Amino acid sequence: MTNADLSFLSDKLRDQLGEVGQADILVGIPSYNNARTIGHVVQAVQAGLARHFPHQRAVLLNSDGGSTDGTPQVVQEASAPSQDTILARHPLRAVHRIVTPYHGLPGKGSALRTVFGAAVVLSAKACAVVDADLRSITPEWIELLLQPVLANGFDFIAPLYHRHKYDGTITNSIVYPLTRALYGVRVRQPIGGDFGFSGRLAHHYLQHDVWFSDVARFGIDIWMTTTAITGGFRIGQAFLGAKIHDAKDPSVDLSAMLAQVTGSVFSLMEEHAARWATVRESKPVPVFGFEYAVGLEPVRVNVGRMLERFRGAVRELEEILSLALAKDTWHAVRQLAARGDDHFTYPPELWVRTVYDFAAAHHHRALHRDLLLRALTPLYLGRTAAFVIQMEHADAAEVEAALEELCLAFERDKPYLVHRWKNREDPP
Amino acid sequence: MTTRFSDRLLDSLASFFEALLRFLPALAAAMLIFFLGLLAGWVLRRVVTHFLRVTRFDRACDGAGLLQLLARADIRTPPSVLVGRGVFWLVFASFTMAAMAALQVSFIDQLVAEFFLYVPRVLSALLVVLAGFLLGGFLARAALLTAANAGLPSPRLLALVVKLLVSVIALAMALEQLRIATSIVLAAFIIAFGSVMLGLALAFGLGGREVARRLLERHLEQPQNQDSDNLSHL
Repeated sequence: MTNADLSFLSDKLRDQLGEVGQADILVGIPSYNNARTIGHVVQAVQAGLARHFPHQRAVLLNSDGGSTDGTPQVVQEASAPSQDTILARHPLRAVHRIVTPYHGLPGKGSALRTVFGAAVVLSAKACAVVDADLRSITPEWIELLLQPVLANGFDFIAPLYHRHKYDGTITNSIVYPLTRALYGVRVRQPIGGDFGFSGRLAHHYLQHDVWFSDVARFGIDIWMTTTAITGGFRIGQAFLGAKIHDAKDPSVDLSAMLAQVTGSVFSLMEEHAARWATVRESKPVPVFGFEYAVGLEPVRVNVGRMLERFRGAVRELEEILSLALAKDTWHAVRQLAARGDDHFTYPPELWVRTVYDFAAAHHHRALHRDLLLRALTPLYLGRTAAFVIQMEHADAAEVEAALEELCLAFERDKPYLVHRWKNREDPP
Repeated sequence: MTTRFSDRLLDSLASFFEALLRFLPALAAAMLIFFLGLLAGWVLRRVVTHFLRVTRFDRACDGAGLLQLLARADIRTPPSVLVGRGVFWLVFASFTMAAMAALQVSFIDQLVAEFFLYVPRVLSALLVVLAGFLLGGFLARAALLTAANAGLPSPRLLALVVKLLVSVIALAMALEQLRIATSIVLAAFIIAFGSVMLGLALAFGLGGREVARRLLERHLEQPQNQDSDNLSHL
């Protein structure tokens, strides 16, 4: 194992870590203006460490991106929960709490780089990162993310949540099936945001020079998952229950968000093309934790407006979509746009072709990549609207079955992707 | 009288032959330079075309929408070949001018000097037009996508306006580079640009008052609107 370059860590942080010395566990919380929720997250982490790892030396590191709402103060002042009411046993060691600003490009990736660096300095055996905007985190999350690493020798633990059937549509319709088809590993929430990982994997992450790319800003979740898969590390999943987080800023543009996520996945495809091209079928990943049904908050979806955007784009964006999609795919998409709302469908096979065509167009630079990625938005809305219509009366099991069918369609049609990746022209 | 005439005739003929003898090497040199120009132009055309093909220049032009524009003008030749031909003619014209300069005729010398002074202006004007076209195409597509994704009315019209504005600016800059009727071009540009902006302002302010009101209302009401989505896409 080569030594990682840790010069990006500030002197102050190095001193603080030096005072701690060695630690068994490191929990990182990246944050930016999360004063409203981070206090609860810190308390849950503290309680989880005290209850489940009382004999381990633990550090809680808040890597902050320059919050202006007092987030670091909330972390410093968040009181540990009452031991009488929460803890089954008393902690033998105090949890060290460090708040530090991160350096580099603003974004979650840079925040986590600091966590990885701290893990290496502390020689941590197991690490976890949890989002600062979580409202549903419980102390058990910490056990579920860390225990498989400490006790079972796993290197990467992805989260597994129960979510509303309409939630996480980018994950369900693009990131999960595509990652699964590409790398042959069924990680259900590859961009979940809350992960457990070994110190060995943290060291491996730091060996990559990606900290001034999009990974540093927003692509860190899928990068961590993909790097763990392609690096041959042992991967597991932990069932964490419901994921409820603070309401997102409504001004966050769906198109920009979708472009960021798909752009990250497509860029990783470039890096690992030699590996995924030969993978066929997929394998399940071990799951830790006891799965149980959870109450979920209702979700409102305006299908009419989604379809309006889809049809409007098919009408207006011909010059762009015809460059991104193969002829047959574009023809089929245009036919979809002519259907009425009640009978609207976006068949899984066509959606697979749509995603694969966009991946190939991104690879061949059929047009400027940022424009290309933004052109996917209306088609994604069409697919989401079709999914909502199709699943209106379906229960959780039926929704999962439909997603499984979509994933299998991605796997079946992978030779098409391989062909389009190698050849710019449409298949004969 | 006869002797004087014949002497003068002979003198003239001698001068002519002397001038001819002085001119012939220059002519030979000019022809050599001319043919060298043909050869250099041909070689450079091949090299440039091959280089552009290897670097996938045609695909980049396709992505930027240049092929579509050429197709509309019924030009089916690949851009790499077009650039190669442009290089050939530029090299050939330069060598031809050098060949003419080798003739050492005073008015041609002046013409050649002016030509070589003008060439950089032509090149920079071409670059400005090309950059304007590429930037216009990119911004037009960005405007088209943004408008379509935001559900704004008439995205294609908006994209066309963006493209026209950028093209007009680029064209005015190119003509200014070429020093073609500079003051008229500048005045025409200011008038045209100002008119377009004023027209847009009036059209939106008067004709589109209702549309603007609806858009603002929809935007401001969105957080309270129960019809809006609250699903988490990630």
